[in-house]
This record gives sequence, structure tokens and C-alpha cells, in this order.
Amino acid sequence: MKRTILLLLIPLLLLSGCSRNQQDTNTPYRIAVITMMQGGEFWGALKNGARSARLATGAVLEFFAPVNESDYSGQIAFVEEAIAQEFDAIILSPSHHTQLEHVVGKARSAGIKVVFADTGLLQEEPDFLITADYQMIGKHVAEHAFSHFSEDEPINALIIGSLPNTTSMTALIGSLETAFHQRENARINSVAYSFSSEVLAHDTAVRAIKADPSINLIFALEEYTAHGVAAALSPDPKIHFIAFGNTQHEIQLLEAEVIDALVVVNSFNLGYRSVLAAVELLEGKRPVQKLVDFALVTKESMFSEEHQHILFQTFQ
Amino acid sequence: MKRKKQPYSIMTLLTFAIAVVSISFTLLISAILYSQFSSRIKENATVSTREIVRQVNANLSYYTNDILTIATYARDLAKQTNILPREEIENRLRSIVDSRQDIVCLVLFDLGGETLLSTSDAPRRPTEEILGQTWFTRAIGGEGNFYFTGPHVQQLFTSSYPWVITYSQQISYTNKQGELSQGLLLIDMNSWAVSELCQSAKLGSSGYVYFIDNNGKIVYHPYQQLINSNLFNEDIESVQEHIFGTFTNTFEGRERLVIIDTVNNARWRIVGVAYMDELMAGLDQYTTVMLIILAFCIITTILIARTVSAYISRPIKELERLMNSVERGDFSSPPTVGGNQEVAALSQTFAAMVQRIRQLMDDIVKSQEMKRKFELDALQAKINPHFLYNTLDSVVWMAEQNDTSGVITMVTALARLFRISISKGRDIITLGEELEHVRNYLIIQQIRYRDKFQFSIDMEPGVENLPTIKLIVQPIVENAIYHGIKYLQEMGHLDIKVFKKKPGAVIIEIRDNGVGMDEQRLNTILTMSSPSQKNGEGIGVRNVHQRIQLYYGSDYGLEISSELDMGTLVRLVIPEQDPIQPIKVAH
Repeated sequence: MKRTILLLLIPLLLLSGCSRNQQDTNTPYRIAVITMMQGGEFWGALKNGARSARLATGAVLEFFAPVNESDYSGQIAFVEEAIAQEFDAIILSPSHHTQLEHVVGKARSAGIKVVFADTGLLQEEPDFLITADYQMIGKHVAEHAFSHFSEDEPINALIIGSLPNTTSMTALIGSLETAFHQRENARINSVAYSFSSEVLAHDTAVRAIKADPSINLIFALEEYTAHGVAAALSPDPKIHFIAFGNTQHEIQLLEAEVIDALVVVNSFNLGYRSVLAAVELLEGKRPVQKLVDFALVTKESMFSEEHQHILFQTFQ
Repeated sequence: MKRKKQPYSIMTLLTFAIAVVSISFTLLISAILYSQFSSRIKENATVSTREIVRQVNANLSYYTNDILTIATYARDLAKQTNILPREEIENRLRSIVDSRQDIVCLVLFDLGGETLLSTSDAPRRPTEEILGQTWFTRAIGGEGNFYFTGPHVQQLFTSSYPWVITYSQQISYTNKQGELSQGLLLIDMNSWAVSELCQSAKLGSSGYVYFIDNNGKIVYHPYQQLINSNLFNEDIESVQEHIFGTFTNTFEGRERLVIIDTVNNARWRIVGVAYMDELMAGLDQYTTVMLIILAFCIITTILIARTVSAYISRPIKELERLMNSVERGDFSSPPTVGGNQEVAALSQTFAAMVQRIRQLMDDIVKSQEMKRKFELDALQAKINPHFLYNTLDSVVWMAEQNDTSGVITMVTALARLFRISISKGRDIITLGEELEHVRNYLIIQQIRYRDKFQFSIDMEPGVENLPTIKLIVQPIVENAIYHGIKYLQEMGHLDIKVFKKKPGAVIIEIRDNGVGMDEQRLNTILTMSSPSQKNGEGIGVRNVHQRIQLYYGSDYGLEISSELDMGTLVRLVIPEQDPIQPIKVAH
């Protein structure tokens, strides 16, 4: 009799087991998204992309970012907090290519999957890296910049980047330098960093132009930097200006021909694919390696269907 | 060597039969139910998805109708420019725009691209930029012709970049000269207005609704940013092939239900996409539950089949056990079992048969016992003629010799002997009585053979009252006299001793110094029908042996040892039993 009851209980136990398993599999992954700074169109689009991926994957996202882009210690604190809160994965855009190595190693040792978005670290390998081909972008931007000059016209360039110690910025500037080395009469007069400060970028640009009136080309490699440089350039239309970003102000400057071209890295794509990669890693899959797209937008092409979507993506 | 296959038990066969039939029916019913349920779920999912798409389409139609109504109102106002001042008309239009967050602006252009009326004060883009835009070129072609664009960045005013859907229509307006001229009415709507209409539609957890124009170009898609970033692909090709209606296909590894409908007022088609795995999620749960219930039913069926077959076969097994028991000779337990009618009837028949067998066996036992008694009586009866003949012969002989005292002694002894022989009809007497019987016999024989032999009877104390079948010693003594002592020249001796021998035996030893027997004769004296036996020699001895064995069993009987010219020793072995009282006979 007891055996009969036990046999009858087996299917019921199976039923309860199934329901419990189903509940377990429905527990969403918790992912910490740690960007370089709270504001900015670039990071805003990245977060929008991550949110879109949240809908697709069901993952729970929490966003962390210091106020200033250069505040890597703030990022370290956020990574520590993510470890303490036992997140399943961390999506990180490290604002310093060496200072975050220890804490990233600690997170990985704790079994947390780490995905780098946009930039990486020099030594510590992440579980996955999603970025744009900044070497290619640098080459492409340089070629476009050169197109504004005749063959024998000397080019004296000023490059103002955002942070000096990020792998993406290093790759980008390195690529620009290579391109300049390959062209006669073209030289980079100065490379400076604004630390994403509009004021610092403005002052740097003003000082550089004053110190070297031959400067006829400026690259602002970040949106706040572009705003500062644009403010410094307004009265001097002779200087060609290529900027990174797609803020409304930059677009207006593009239309006003203060900026000759805008380089837009698809940070929506960056955010979306970072979350997707993190979830795939957590599910034991191997994410597909694919570079994030970018566009070099001019006044002429800004309303083209192709560029409209990437240039105005934050307006949607 | 091929082993013969063991036949299956009734219980196994019944369990198998019940289980197979029940499980087959259960599986058949489950398959039918599953088929019905899955097709019903699919049908319901299709209907509900189509209904959602139709609802979105209806909402969109309301919305476009609303825009067309506003356009009609603006068109009427445009014809009143000669009556109403421009500011008044613009104010009326602006009040509409201000009351609706979804409308960005409303502008009337002449066909040269110049602004006639506008709800916006923002600086306008140059005319050449206006004229080249799609909404302008597509609406031109005849009065009333209208066009809806897809979402795009508005390019009307500088420093402003909202994503809009543009409605444009060629209309008539009254120009400054009071004549009707052709113009182009533009209404820009926020693209999120259409997005919200579509986003409210939930087709499963990840299904969606999107629009395409008559060229198959996406007008609106909820995953537009993903499509732009090449993170999402849409199967426009299949939609273009089907134009209208419902179909299912597999795209990028997932089966999709696609519903296409035409949007009123705009040259758009609405496409609803639902994923079959989500729509059929209920079926998965149903399948899981059904499989568990099925497993439960199968296990239950097997258990019930086993219980029923056990119920049916248990009485049969019990009957089999009883039959085996009867086969082993155990008739004690009543051979009746319960159970169903047939088995109960069989059991009762078997019980009757066993009862009959038992009765027959009792009869056989009784008849055997009677037969044995008859045999004993017959053997016992054989003694009497010998004895009587010999004794009477001696009495006659003594009477002829006038030996009166001898006759008295002999007849007295004979009378005592017969008293013991009669023993009130009992077969069992005490050893004391048996030896008294022998003593009287020996007295008679001693007289007859005129002191040809001497005898002694020695009885161990305590054996007098032990029971024995009667008249077992006398034939041995008689045999010793007739075939041993009788032929002696010298004095014969006959000694009788009775003593106990452990364990549980009593020995009556008769020793004579007669002529003895050779070995061949000794070996055959106790066997029946021996050819060496002549003149009744050994018949009495054999009778005694058979009587003892018949009564006490084969462990008891006679042991004879003999040597020619030396004598014979006969040992009667009987079991030691509880003492009995001697028979009281009158002297």
C-alpha cells in the first residue's frame, strides 16, 4: 500500500519539480552598466541601447556613472559595489586603461562576467570587448580632413581628446598621427586633452590657436570638447573643424558650417550589444565579434536616410 | 539446448491485458485531445493576433481620419484668406496645434515653396531645401492628392530636428487677388504618436506591429534603431509576396505568425508579427501538465490492473496452494477459498473432492486396520490347534498310564493357560501374565516329555506389568522344544529371561541347548514361503515375528542366533510402554 502511494506521488513530485524549475529559469540576470559619466549624448545613446536590449533579454539593468568622465576612482567604487551586490555581469567603459585593472580582475575572480564597452584595459582581458574600429575611424576622419585642403597646402592640426588614458582615445589619436605622417605638409602641432570639460577645451583651443596661428585644422574627439572648441572658433571660419558627437548643438554647428564634419559612433549599438553579449556569456554562449558602426556626417549628408538615423538617433 | 519458455502467470497476463487496453485508450484520447487543443490554441492565437492588428489599424485609421479632418478644416480656412486676416487664420490653426501634442506644425505653401500660412514662428529653411523634400514632391499632382511620409527628421525650420511623420496634400487656396490657386498643406505629426499606437499592441511578449508603404519600405518599426544598427532584420520580402492576409513562416530560426492589413487613408500596410512559440506557450504548459497527468494515469492504470489481477488470481493461487498441500497429503486445512463466483465454485467442488478422498482414505485405513486385526487373530488362532493337540495328546497319554496326578497337573496348567489366552478378549496383557502363560505351557510340555528338559524363567523386577501382545513367547518355546530339545540325548535346558534394554525396549530372551540350526536355515526362518521349511517348522516363530512387526512396527520383532549342536537363542524385542494392570481372572 505504501509503495502504491509512493508511486502515485511520483507524478505529483514531478509536477512540483517542473514548476520549481520553471521559476528558477525565469530569474532574470542582473547586470551593472558602468559608463564614464552620467550626462552626454554618447552615453545617453549607449544607455538607450542597453535598455532596448533589456526588453529583448529580460535582464535587469542598473546604471552607474560618476559625474565627471575622468573620475576613474568613482568607477572603481561602482565596480566594487557591483561585486558586493553580486551582480551577474558588469558592462564597463573604463575611464583609465590601468587603474581599473585590479578591480576588474577582482570582479572576474568573483565569477562576474565583465564586458568592456567602447574602451578597454591594457593588461586585464575582459570576458568580451565591444568597440568601434578606432584605427579605421582615425584613418577615415583624417582622409576626410585632408579633402578640405589642396595637395600642396600645409596642414597644421590641433587634436583635443577627452581622456588621455583610454584605449579608444589612444587608438584614435595614434591612427590620426599615422595618417598625418603619411601625408606631406601635414603635421599635428599639438595633442591636448580636455577631460570632457567644455571650458578646458575652449581654453586649450584658444591658447593653441594664439600660440600657433598656423593651425588650420582642429579635431575635437568628444562632444563636450567639440562644444568648447566651437566656442573658440566661432569668429574664425578659416580653421577646419571636425568633431565627434551628435548633440543638437553640434548638429546646429554642422548646419552653420562651423563644424565641417561630425563623426558619430553608434553608441546605441554599443549599449545594445554589450547587454546581449553579457547575457550570452552568462548563458555559456560565445558572443559574435563585430565592430560597432560609425558615420562621418557632413552638412550635405546629414538628412540622408542613412545618416539621419545615426545622427538624430537621440531625438527619436 | 533451447529451454522451454515458462508460461506466464494469470496475474501477469491480466495485468498486461488490462494495462495495454487502458493505456492504449488513454494515449488515444490524449492524442485526440492534444490535437484538438493545439489546433484550437493556434486558431485562437491567430484570431486574437488578427484582432489586435485590426485594432491597431482601426486606431491608426481614427488617427489619420482625425488628421484628414484637420486638413479639411485648414483647407476651408485657406479658401477664406480673402475674408479672414492671415493672423486670424493662423491663430485658429495654432489653437488646434496647441491643443494637440502630437501635431508639431501646420504650414500652407504655395507651389513655389513659399509659406502662406504657418503655426510656427521659427526661422524657416531656404525654399530650395523645401521644394526638394519628398513630402512636397509626392503630394504635387492634382488637387486632393495627399501623402503620408514615414518618420523622418523635420527639415522645415533651422535648429530644430524633431522626428515627424508628414501629411501633405495639394489644396486650393484663395490668393491675395481673391482667386483660387494651388498650394500644399503640410501637417507634421510627432512620430511617437504613431509609435504609441503600435506599442500598445502586445502580440505575445516580443511580437510587434510595423508599417510599410506600398513600395515595401518600412514606414514605422518599433525596432527601427536596431534595424538601423543592423541589430535586427525584418522579413520584408515575405510580406511583399503575400500583400494581404495571414501566413506563417520561419525567419531567423523562429516560426512567426504574420498578419497583413491595409491602412485606410494612407498607402501603408500594417504588419503584425507574433512568434508562434510565445503564442503556443500555453500549449507547452498544457503539454507538460498533460504528460504528467498521462504518466499519472499510466502508473495508476498499471497499479489498478495489478490490483484487479491480484484480486482475481489470489483465490486461484490460494486454491493452487491448497491443491499442493493436498498433494503432499495434508488434508487437514479446509480447501475452500473466497474470490469470484467461478473460483468459489471450483473451490467448493475441490473441497467436496478432498472430502470424498479423505472419507475414502479413512475407509481404507479402517479396512486396513480390520485386515490387520483379522490377520493377528488368524495368526493367534493358528497356535491353538497345535497347542491343544499336543496337550490333549499328553493328557490322553497320562490317562492311559493312570497317572492321575500328572493329568491333574497338566489339566490345571492347561486351564490356567487358557484363562490367560482368553484374557477377556484382550490382545494386550502384562509380561507377567505372558510368562505365567509360558510357565503353564512348559509345565504341560515337561510332563509330556517326562523331564526331558528343565526350564527357568527369570524376570527382571519392574517388568511384570509392562504390556505386550499376548502369546508371543509360547510359540518360540514350543519351537525350541519340538525342533531343538526334542532331539537331545542329554537333558535339555530352556532358560527365559526378561529384561529392559535402553532405549525403550524390552527383551524376552529364550535360550535352549537344543540341536540348533545351520546358517542357511537360520537365514530363512523368518522369511515367508521358504522351501527349506518342512513340517510346519518355523511357522510359529515367523507368526510371532510378523505379529510383533504388525503391531509395533518394523523396528521390533525377533532376533535369532543359533549354532548347530550348541543351541539357539531367540530374542523378542518389543517396545517398553507404560505399565498396565494385569487382568483379574477367577481361579
